[in-house]
Amino acid sequence: MSKVVEISPTTRHEGHSKLVLKVNDEGIIERGDWLSITPVRGVEKLAIGKTMDQVPKIASRVCGICPIAHTLAGLESMEGSIGCEIPEDAKLLRIILQCANRLHSHALHNILTLPDYYIPGTETKINPFTPEEPVRSVAKRIQRLREIGQTIGEIAGGEAIHPSNPRVGGMYKACSERAVYKMYDLAKEGLTLAHQQMEFMIAVIRNMQKRDWTDVGGKQIPIPKNFGYHDMGYMAADPMYGSSNLDEHPGWNPDRWTDVRPWDWYMGEVEVSLADPGYPIGGTSPVGTKANPQMEACTGVPLYDGAPVEVGPRARLVTFKNFNEKGTFGQQVARQLEYPDCLYTILNCLDEYNPCGKVLADCIPQGDGSMGWAANEAPRGCDVHLARVKDGRVLWYEMLVPTTWNFPTCSRALTGSPWQIAEIIVRGYDPCVSCATHMIVVDDDKRIVAQKLIQ
Amino acid sequence: MLYPEIVIAGCGNPLFADDGFGPAVVEELLKFKLPDNVKVIDAGLGGPHFIFTLLDPEVTKRLIIIDIADFGAEPGELASFQVEDLPAGSYRDAHSWDLTEPLQRLKDLVDITIIGCQPKHVTAPEFELGLTEDVSNAIPKTVRYVLELIGVDYGMAIENLRKEERQRYSRGEACGES
Repeated sequence: MSKVVEISPTTRHEGHSKLVLKVNDEGIIERGDWLSITPVRGVEKLAIGKTMDQVPKIASRVCGICPIAHTLAGLESMEGSIGCEIPEDAKLLRIILQCANRLHSHALHNILTLPDYYIPGTETKINPFTPEEPVRSVAKRIQRLREIGQTIGEIAGGEAIHPSNPRVGGMYKACSERAVYKMYDLAKEGLTLAHQQMEFMIAVIRNMQKRDWTDVGGKQIPIPKNFGYHDMGYMAADPMYGSSNLDEHPGWNPDRWTDVRPWDWYMGEVEVSLADPGYPIGGTSPVGTKANPQMEACTGVPLYDGAPVEVGPRARLVTFKNFNEKGTFGQQVARQLEYPDCLYTILNCLDEYNPCGKVLADCIPQGDGSMGWAANEAPRGCDVHLARVKDGRVLWYEMLVPTTWNFPTCSRALTGSPWQIAEIIVRGYDPCVSCATHMIVVDDDKRIVAQKLIQ
Repeated sequence: MLYPEIVIAGCGNPLFADDGFGPAVVEELLKFKLPDNVKVIDAGLGGPHFIFTLLDPEVTKRLIIIDIADFGAEPGELASFQVEDLPAGSYRDAHSWDLTEPLQRLKDLVDITIIGCQPKHVTAPEFELGLTEDVSNAIPKTVRYVLELIGVDYGMAIENLRKEERQRYSRGEACGES
């Protein structure tokens, strides 16, 4: 007899999502639904009638973690629609920005994911914030890699968080020779650290893979050999940067994409019949809680060739580098394997980059309403933006963000694993569920602070 | 160093009307010529993971956060908060594994001030562009207050700003004359 357990919200990733899991008597997931519970906000509607310069900036505000991917995909979908080819040196700066962003993101994901893993040869789970060795040195290395990524991104992109340098037609400013040297030095430092970090992470993942069980909330939970396996396909547009309709051999095809509504995909109303108050961070939802994934899911389900696909590091490696490891551990290993490539690509781009070169197209057409698309390989997967621009204004705009692709695929990957470790599978996807606002609300008894009013 | 001695971060999302107050103040501040040890950043929604978890307390001594805050005042009124004044959950880093807050970790090492503006209209989860008039009117006051906090003379900064603008125009005229 199946029981239903709900983990809401899931933790250690961006945004709000939850897991509704049907499990058998042994606690093994028979069917799992992982869904976003962040309301859809309709950026597509807001974009209509705005200028092609405004829309990528709006797109970059949709998420607090992926502004760089959304800026680049947004801009290139506009350029794809108007048919604007950007100069080579502008393209190089964008690739550098992309790699720097991926470096930072993978390092940040290490912090988020490490607490699920053990220090090899011990029964101690990794606390990235501990002052004790060997974890302390690893944490410092992760911080340095993040700093390097953010600093290179800031130099190439103008600003580290919301890049101000990219624009429709290229970039606003070229980077000086001095800036190039600075990025080069940082990338060389980063390359050594990235190799070390990759090797450390792979050792930690392999160690976990050999274990029979893991501790969750004081209980020993068995790890199945097919942990996180799914039989869905993969989708990636490029090993590093991305693709657009202007490419000679486009890496993505809009004709292969369809969208279905959540009620075609997720399960209907269920009642929670299994609860564990000892589950980490607040326990699972109490027995009797009603869950209705069909109605609660806040995203559509995009399909490629009529089926859900996985996007992200493994999808890139499977598509372009003959990587063939399945499951959550394979996915984690794939992410680590991307570390050095970020820095090799930055170094190669800097070698090719000419500081005196042109970074803005001579002619920026205003568009005739043709469809353009750009598929940017964001850290957590293929981020596709589609647009139609006419006379400089956006007629139609659509964003297919990475985690939206991964929701249905990951849901299938949950089957066959104990429910207590479902979140480890989810975290393998480095999910980024769109962020909500974060206004500070001071409660009544804190009203006293209002006396510190600034006149 | 990515972040210098003084960091000023404007937080919030301009897609939710008044929630864009922080980034709007940053836009104004970026027009001033500020000392080299000051960095003004449009943090958007990324403050916790892009800035607060990346600050080195040995370098950064002062953090000023500009945001909206509901403290029961009239729209556009400003208040200054300390980390202790914030309710649990403000600036929680979604990536911190134990849901601790980066500002709590930093507060004894870095001098943190949060400048909050009472919003009138926050549209989340619906998107709407543009600040309301009340909140928009609070921008100059906030800019003056921030400059005062970091010991920059407003008059001088404005003076520099004007001088730069004059130079820009005068260059243009010179080109036209020659």
